[in-house]
Amino acid sequence: MSVKNGINGWAGTILRVNLTTGSITKEDTLPKYRPYIGGMGIGYKVIWDEVPLDTDPLGPDAKCVFGVGPLTASGVPCSGRMNITLLSCWSLGYSIIDAHMGGHIAHAFKYAGYDAMIVEGQSDHPVYIKIEDENVTIEDASHIWGKGTFEANATLAKENGPEFDVATIGPAGENLVPMSNIITSFGNSGGGGIGALLGSKKCKGIAVRGTGAVKIARPMEVRLLSNYMIKDLVGGNNNHTVPCHAQSWSEYVATKNRWQGAPGITWDKAPHGQIDTGEQPSGVINVAALRCNKGVFDFGEVAEKYTVKQGGCSSCPVRCYTEYDMDPLAEYDLPTHVSNTCMPIIKMLEWYPNHLDANGESVPSTHDFADEGDAKMILGGAGSRAADDYGVWCNYGNLYEDFNMAYTSGVLKDVIERENPGEWEKIPWALMESGDPRWVVDCYRRIAMREGIFSDLGLGTYRLYQKWGMDDASKNVAGKNFYDFVNGKNFNIGHNGFPRHHGPENCWQAGTLYSMMYNRDCMIHHLINFCSSGAPYNEIIKPVLEHFFGEGCTDPQKHYTPINENKIKLAKWAFIGKQWHDSATLCNWMYPMTIATSKKRQYIGDLDLDAKYMTAVLGEEYTREDQEHDSERISQLLRVMTAVSFKLNLGSTNLRKDHDRVSDWVFDKEPDFKPFEEGTVKLDREDWEKSLDMWYEAMGWNKETGIPTRETLEKFDLGDCADKLEELGLI
Amino acid sequence: MSEVQDRKKFLDKDYTRRQFLKISGKSLAGLAISSSLLNVLCVSEKSIAEDKVRVWAFPQGLLVVDMDRCVGCQRCEINCTLTNDGCCSSYISRVKVTRNLYSSRNGQGLYTEDNWTYFPDTCRQCEDPACGNACPMQAIYADENGIRRVDTDKCVGCGACVQACPWHMPTVNPVTHKSSKCIMCGACAEGCPSGALSIVPWDRIVSASQAV
Repeated sequence: MSVKNGINGWAGTILRVNLTTGSITKEDTLPKYRPYIGGMGIGYKVIWDEVPLDTDPLGPDAKCVFGVGPLTASGVPCSGRMNITLLSCWSLGYSIIDAHMGGHIAHAFKYAGYDAMIVEGQSDHPVYIKIEDENVTIEDASHIWGKGTFEANATLAKENGPEFDVATIGPAGENLVPMSNIITSFGNSGGGGIGALLGSKKCKGIAVRGTGAVKIARPMEVRLLSNYMIKDLVGGNNNHTVPCHAQSWSEYVATKNRWQGAPGITWDKAPHGQIDTGEQPSGVINVAALRCNKGVFDFGEVAEKYTVKQGGCSSCPVRCYTEYDMDPLAEYDLPTHVSNTCMPIIKMLEWYPNHLDANGESVPSTHDFADEGDAKMILGGAGSRAADDYGVWCNYGNLYEDFNMAYTSGVLKDVIERENPGEWEKIPWALMESGDPRWVVDCYRRIAMREGIFSDLGLGTYRLYQKWGMDDASKNVAGKNFYDFVNGKNFNIGHNGFPRHHGPENCWQAGTLYSMMYNRDCMIHHLINFCSSGAPYNEIIKPVLEHFFGEGCTDPQKHYTPINENKIKLAKWAFIGKQWHDSATLCNWMYPMTIATSKKRQYIGDLDLDAKYMTAVLGEEYTREDQEHDSERISQLLRVMTAVSFKLNLGSTNLRKDHDRVSDWVFDKEPDFKPFEEGTVKLDREDWEKSLDMWYEAMGWNKETGIPTRETLEKFDLGDCADKLEELGLI
Repeated sequence: MSEVQDRKKFLDKDYTRRQFLKISGKSLAGLAISSSLLNVLCVSEKSIAEDKVRVWAFPQGLLVVDMDRCVGCQRCEINCTLTNDGCCSSYISRVKVTRNLYSSRNGQGLYTEDNWTYFPDTCRQCEDPACGNACPMQAIYADENGIRRVDTDKCVGCGACVQACPWHMPTVNPVTHKSSKCIMCGACAEGCPSGALSIVPWDRIVSASQAV
């Protein structure tokens, strides 16, 4: 561990576990991976060096890389995330992606003495990887194979001891369902199909205990910076910096955002009496965790009734996982303890579209449980627990939107009746139509166990649409291309098989540009965080952002303007910043500290903070320029690997055409409006092409193909990447 | 005066640190705590009655641990080790929450049926400390404020203190091979984002006790 080996920040060791041979070896993190920082950077470098990009993502030669970085477990707030790099088995091009997992396991892993773990080969029987400081073993997992993640995690925790943190895949991963994940803590998951990759290796999960420490060069400086951040900068979840209910100290109040804590907002099921969240002034550390109250944001004040407390990840003061005890679920013999922070708990109504009654009328499928308007919450509780237990990943909601669109359009019924006569009648539609929480549990079971044509939903959007003809208007009964058509449930950002997160709907051309850069949903929150922060646009958002990036870099909501250079600057900052977060590691939902809670600072945040943390941890100067250079290196590597995958797997030589294509609805929605009129978020096609031109120029990529040039790659010491691109005829 | 009479007369006297030292670490259940003092401690009568709030007398004030407020962020351990060890660790932290977070010896924690019950354990600064009594080198001593400290010149890292403590609070640091235990620096409470750990200054205790 780093205190023993004298390295600041990094643990210093990378584990390599081969599940075919059983060999476990260790390598030094430095100096080889120093230019790649950690986490995602290490993962990308390893895959680039060791895994040809036409490797079968679920085959014996596939690898995944669990990784953390120099800021993980270094005392920095919101540094509790672990990155897992793998090849996609479900999106266009089957290229490089990452899963990311919160909870507490990233810290356990770092304390055990590791920056990364490469998992390769395939076991011939179920196993899990046990890490206890320097002792790493491959243990039998036959007794938990087939179990849901809750039971598997509980078993591993009990067997190994109180200080072990654990993470397991569910039946979905075991059955190689592409829409699968790994689950840790309660409701924290790593998605992207990592469940299937580990399932293909017969690896049920990991158990980790670390008694070590992370060496910090200037520990008091880290503590002071952390205190400063929590007092003056950070707000609630997604760094929303203005409270949503008036507080006596706050100049502003938000309309609806993720700072719901206030006097009168309560945790009603706190075991020893209701806890009132009270005021949480800027400048005070001891109330920061009372701000978010995600349940109230998600479901309204009805959530207070079942709120026990708020959880989340190591080192984070924000606590974005409301922890519930939902009594109504007991009537259905479902567990009442539920917790999740995002799609799996907030979007379960998508599994309950209106249905046709006996008279052929379209009627709602949901009803209130104990309180008016609580269906979203109760069904959310049931759905999230089932999803997590079965280890099903939702592709940031596309799973349920695809079900909803397929059901409502008639495609679902048509395909099932054609492909598997008799299946449709056996599906318990009465549960859906009566708003029964056991419906959503059954949906996840079907998907995880690959039961019937219904379970094709688990293939993920790209392969599902191919199979069901949803990507071609001439091949499905709805006569639509489900990537492109204007429909409130269509969140596809392109034809790659993943949705926006967050793109044109809130973040003008900037969000759309970086949304297209990955092989899964981008998960970039740099822009959406300040857009939805609750701060007023003209008084705070515009001046603060223009202070950092120049005039015209932002647009107000629903009133976009044509592309300009400063928007490109902003977009690039956000794009490379995501690679920084997943390599450092820092939470993508909280950083950067753009807008502050502090009025004394005129609400201006601190974009140099991350570099200040690095300098304090490493004990050597690390500037923002260093951070951006290293982040851009990893970003260039992402683009190179995407280009190589697309060539090897699709024969494509043009990413602009074949990868970066945006869905038609982005330009065609809201037909009564013209682009850039107030009231619409639609974009303009010509302006988009211009945006791509300017974007590629800013990134140093060929304007026609969107592929990095040799000159660009050499700037980042990626000459070997340029060699490979040349070899493949891509440059 | 008997202990029972002492406790009944609790509210009659000005609260001073010496008074709280008498009940430090002991249950507050059965004491008639005024509502103004309950407010200052930010705890409910029910918490007190069910023995889920503990208070310990620190030089700076009263350390109050409210388990319902612990959100599992582990920042207490982070702040403890940054301050006292110059590194970041869970294992050598002198306040301990991680061992209760996953599946504790009491069958509580995120991976158990009682999954929303987790909270930090703190050193009790026992008047008759088992750790000190067990130490073969007499390395654990009380300073002028009554804080039990480890004299690292004398400590040989045998771990007797760890075994003897009923709550296993000290830890032998695997790098320095010295026992580390809580010295009441207050970093954990200062940095706790939920108020699960808080130190209420003595002057607020005194004025709350004087409120009508």
